[in-house]
Amino acid sequence: MSPAGNHRWAALPWLLIAPSLIMAIGVIGYPFYEIIRLAVSDVSRFGQIRGFNGWDNFARVASDPIFVDALVRTLVWTITVVGGTILLSIPVALVLREDFWGRGLARTIIMLPWSIALSMAAIVWLWAFNADYGMINATLRQWGILAAPLQWMARPETAFPVEVGIGIIVSIPFTVTILLGGLSSIPGDLYEAARIDGARPWQSFLYMTLPMLGPFLNIAIVLNIIHVFNSFSIIWVMTQGGPDNRTHILVTYLYELSFYLGRPGPAAVVSLVVLAIVFSATAAYMWLRERDA
Amino acid sequence: MKRPLRSALSWAVLSPLILTTLLPFAVMISTALKPHEEVLAYPPTWFPRRIAWENFAEMWTSVGFGQAAYNSVLIAVASTLLALLIAVPAAYAMSRLDMRGKAAYRQFLLITQMLSPILLVLGLFRMAASIPFADGTLADTRTGVIIVYATYHLAFAIWMLASYFTTIPGELEEAAWIDGATRAQAVTRVFLPLALPAIAVTGIVTFVASWNEFTVALTLLRDPSRLTLPLKVVNLVAGRYSVEWNQVMAATLLATLPVAIVFTLLQRYLVTGLTLGAVK
Repeated sequence: MSPAGNHRWAALPWLLIAPSLIMAIGVIGYPFYEIIRLAVSDVSRFGQIRGFNGWDNFARVASDPIFVDALVRTLVWTITVVGGTILLSIPVALVLREDFWGRGLARTIIMLPWSIALSMAAIVWLWAFNADYGMINATLRQWGILAAPLQWMARPETAFPVEVGIGIIVSIPFTVTILLGGLSSIPGDLYEAARIDGARPWQSFLYMTLPMLGPFLNIAIVLNIIHVFNSFSIIWVMTQGGPDNRTHILVTYLYELSFYLGRPGPAAVVSLVVLAIVFSATAAYMWLRERDA
Repeated sequence: MKRPLRSALSWAVLSPLILTTLLPFAVMISTALKPHEEVLAYPPTWFPRRIAWENFAEMWTSVGFGQAAYNSVLIAVASTLLALLIAVPAAYAMSRLDMRGKAAYRQFLLITQMLSPILLVLGLFRMAASIPFADGTLADTRTGVIIVYATYHLAFAIWMLASYFTTIPGELEEAAWIDGATRAQAVTRVFLPLALPAIAVTGIVTFVASWNEFTVALTLLRDPSRLTLPLKVVNLVAGRYSVEWNQVMAATLLATLPVAIVFTLLQRYLVTGLTLGAVK
């Protein structure tokens, strides 16, 4: 079926998507090409390319202890933030599906962090964790949990866990939204039938809810991994990778290399490393999904 | 389980998360309304003895809030419109037209999402700095930021719009064709009016994303008169010895509240859209 007049426009769909292709290739593809070029070049601190130097930048990055440290910390960051987010989001979504008084309000509150800029949330938390005048220390001391104020953000042993916690809280709204969508696709009479057949609640959760939630959990995990791996604002605003480079993840370190330490070549290599990890994680996920399908 | 018991249990399970979520908002509002001397008093209290409305006026001039808000609005509106202008036709093609390479195009969109701005900051900055614009380059211009934002919104906007568009019955347009309408007429008179809610929701989501964005703006913008709200607020804190926390919180509150309200109201539509996109 085609409209009156223009049947012969086989090119129409391509004309319609052409602007998006051109824009993406220009604004995403070209900078990507630049990154690859910088990674294999000898680059001055002002960004002047002085010549090809093969794997030099790669070797320099591989032997940089801060990089190795940040790489390990990025894995810890991603696993703890994504893991924590998923573990908390499943019960939250299950509860939010139940019909209870004030459900709309509870849902609105849990979704609130989604609407705030991560950079601004980080500022507010920074103030809440302020050693001398912050509400967290004040409350903990009032409750008798802390004897003296804790310098939360001045020590990496406390600063990094705080950042992980904030990472989890801001990832929950999106994850719960996806899971709620998944739960709503499970017909309610299925639970009815299971109950009549004598299934206990934990049995219907384990053998019905979890398997049917599977594809949605997968999507939530992959999108969270991509997002958390690339999450820059929280750590940058709260500690800038410090103190003593001990809260750096790869993306904050690459920003510091690019714009503060004047080492564009190694910075480009770090970009490519992050990209390679994100690509392989996504590919592995796709492969798993194909296999399960 | 009876409803009162279930309600109590549900709230009990959710309460740790709800309290943690509300804490920063409480801190923000409480500090934004405190007079300077109370902010640095120990022990700190939740309720100010006197509501210090002057924080907002003082913050307005010290931050240059008006100019920053103008920059944020300009950048968010322009990047949203540009993204929609490009995404709507593409999403129409994806959901309505037969084309070869649709799967490849979908993959391409996914890949653009993986090349996130933070990974390309150096490349983006170098590209902007190499493109002549007005009397300088595209670096440190709002136009540069608008173009980058719009591009990064495309994949999400096309995905979201296409999944909504497929829910609009194609028979309606076909009926218009039978009545002698051309494709263009059917699109503008029948399809677009039905698609308007979806376009509006997508537009609001991209607006909020632009409004809240930090990394690209931090990289591209330098001149204080061009900075957006998140940059201004972060600059009030970063690398300073004495921070006027009551003004910082007043600025954060004012920058956050309007967007948080709009977002909360639209949440329901967002859930539908995201899950439609997720299972496709």
